[in-house]
Amino acid sequence: MAARLLLRSAFRAATTCRAVPVPALTRGVTTGGIPTDEEQATGLEKQVLKSMKEGKDPYSILKPKEYAGTKDDPHLVPSVTNKRIVGCVCEEDNTAVIWFWLHEGEAQRCPSCGSHYKLVPHELPH
Amino acid sequence: MAHQAHAYHMVDPSPWPLTGAISALLMTSGLATWWHYKTTTLLFLGTTLLLLTMFQWWRDIIRESTFQGHHSTPVQKGLRYGMVLFITSEVFFFIGFFWAFYHSSLAPAIELGGLWPPTGITPLDPFEVPLLNTAVLLASGVTVTWAHHTIMEGARKPALQSLTLTVLLGLYFTALQAMEYYEAPFTLADGVYGCTFFVATGFHGLHVIIGTTFLMVCLLRHTHYHFTSNHHFGFEAGAWYWHFVDVVWLFLYISIYWWGS
Repeated sequence: MAARLLLRSAFRAATTCRAVPVPALTRGVTTGGIPTDEEQATGLEKQVLKSMKEGKDPYSILKPKEYAGTKDDPHLVPSVTNKRIVGCVCEEDNTAVIWFWLHEGEAQRCPSCGSHYKLVPHELPH
Repeated sequence: MAHQAHAYHMVDPSPWPLTGAISALLMTSGLATWWHYKTTTLLFLGTTLLLLTMFQWWRDIIRESTFQGHHSTPVQKGLRYGMVLFITSEVFFFIGFFWAFYHSSLAPAIELGGLWPPTGITPLDPFEVPLLNTAVLLASGVTVTWAHHTIMEGARKPALQSLTLTVLLGLYFTALQAMEYYEAPFTLADGVYGCTFFVATGFHGLHVIIGTTFLMVCLLRHTHYHFTSNHHFGFEAGAWYWHFVDVVWLFLYISIYWWGS
């Protein structure tokens, strides 16, 4: 597998020299020859790259979006199954975290502060 | 590929941490048996095992990252933190030896003649080979930065040239320093001067050899197209380590070679 990858990247590297548009700031002596992530990333790194380009974050790398937690703007909790544990820090700096299972279906409310949470399905690239 | 909902790398079971620990045991007990019983078997075994551990562990990391793609952005971030913390620990390692040097040299004992360098010690001229060594390392700092920029710009050949030049400068430093060690008019046994000089510069030299080896591996990987213009942390870690080695030398030069003469 490694040999195929090497051969493929070597072929791409050889052709890249002519295909890549020369950036304005290079010295112009020799450019190209080093693959880009686009060309060479593989496995999980490639998955993340592809998903990010489509505006998706399947591996939860970015900070979760902020929601008001009201009925009309509930916290959207992604899950790969039909339930997920939620830990609600009701007020900033609270040390007692309120833990509860969030099930799919209607939004649930935190038993302590009443914020609304809704489970949403989360797609994993396979 | 494992079905995970996170971007971290759950590493497969590996024997190298165990072999590394065993080699540490063999090397330490090997040192003791060498000094007490004049046999080098354990030490030799331990060193061999250490080299095998390093080769295979790092080879596995290259396989996991370059060939299997496990080094996502969060994983890379963790590695960056790791390298920074490691280099920081090495800084403290050297701080110890600089502390020892300044402790003995700022208030020289009466047994040394109450002066520094101590009576009977002819220090090396800081404006001869040590100054050349300073120039060599500073130049290598420039070439390694040049190499980094060529990699980021996707220019293969200049990257090859600048990285090769960096390695050559590193080797040149080691050769010059080895010659200096051979020609020096004082030895490790020459009191606290000899001790602080050779322990501090000796550990530095060892780090130069480690850094040069790191960069040689980077050069080899670069020839095999491992690095991309955006993702080349192995190289960056090597470059950081090299800059650290350079900075330690500057402190050594100013403190021991120049002020200490």
